[in-house]
Amino acid sequence: MNVTARIRVWDLPTRIFHWSLAGLVAFSFVTGKIGDPWMSWHLRSGYGILTLLAFRIAWGFAGGRTARFSHFLRGPRIALEYAREALSGRYHPFAGHNPLGGWMVVVMLAALLVQACTGLFADDEIATQGPLAVKVSNAFVSRMSAWHSFNEWLVVGLATVHVAAIALYRWKLRARLAGPMVHGWVPVPPGENWPQPAMGHTGLALALLAFAAAMAYVLVVVYPAT
Amino acid sequence: MKKLAIAALVTAATALPALAQHMKLEDQVKYRRAAYDLLGLNFGSLSAMAQDKKPFDKEEAQSNADFAAMLATVPRHFFGEGTDKNTKAKPEIWTHRADFDAKMDKMVGEAQKLPAAVRSGDMAAFRKQVADVGHACKSCHDDFRAK
Repeated sequence: MNVTARIRVWDLPTRIFHWSLAGLVAFSFVTGKIGDPWMSWHLRSGYGILTLLAFRIAWGFAGGRTARFSHFLRGPRIALEYAREALSGRYHPFAGHNPLGGWMVVVMLAALLVQACTGLFADDEIATQGPLAVKVSNAFVSRMSAWHSFNEWLVVGLATVHVAAIALYRWKLRARLAGPMVHGWVPVPPGENWPQPAMGHTGLALALLAFAAAMAYVLVVVYPAT
Repeated sequence: MKKLAIAALVTAATALPALAQHMKLEDQVKYRRAAYDLLGLNFGSLSAMAQDKKPFDKEEAQSNADFAAMLATVPRHFFGEGTDKNTKAKPEIWTHRADFDAKMDKMVGEAQKLPAAVRSGDMAAFRKQVADVGHACKSCHDDFRAK
């Protein structure tokens, strides 16, 4: 048995972020579909998502090696080459996001950011308004409400592709991706020499999260009351 | 107040169809939208109270509930054939009229129960009735109102 048979690829803040976000997105979807009396929770969930997204963007610059945008954003040619190989069944494992998954991360974050921000201005024309709807024209509220409705299906589509991709990796390429997002560890492939990537500082993560939460609080509570 | 609301309600129910019959199409859109706006204003107030976003004031809630119950009966009279221009109302309203009417009936019926729910003083019943009205609004919006 090899001495260093496995390395830790995802630091604790990245993992907690991932599952919190997944949980809140699912909760937001369900409460949005039910409507009243869950709409106030739909809004709170959205503020939580906004906070997590702000944290993740900061973490993409200050987090662990594998959580950084500079680590997983590669050119489109590399991503396409990777996709071609994976589709032909040749799987080249990566310590962290692979070139295709890296782009998926950014696309999902962007779609969720659009969803959370349009929600701030939205009005369901029943009894619920986003906290910033009072600050802008009704025409803008109407446009943001429409975007919030359409982008919802983009988010659902991306989430479906995301989960389907994890399943395909599991069954077609024999790569387990969900487990490492829980415990952080991946086995080093035979013949490879993977150094242990630097993990993010949990204290820094807490500080960034607190800052993100404070920003969200100002945006949805303090500013609308002015 | 109650007698007034009932009188107004009866008037609305009997006089509006006759009025709407001879009305320009764009005026029908104007009046149904006006009714929805005022309904939203009153129902929004009730919803805020039901969710503790503002303190429950029985007198205000009673007034909101009476108005909402009355206003809910108005829009249905202003969805004549051809009133599908410059509106979020979807064409499906006129191609699936029976379904639209059923959802409208449901909303009106639930809104009619608001005044009694407020009068009962039972906050749980009040909250449930507000949620039921909200659902009735949503189920119709989901199918018949453009985004």
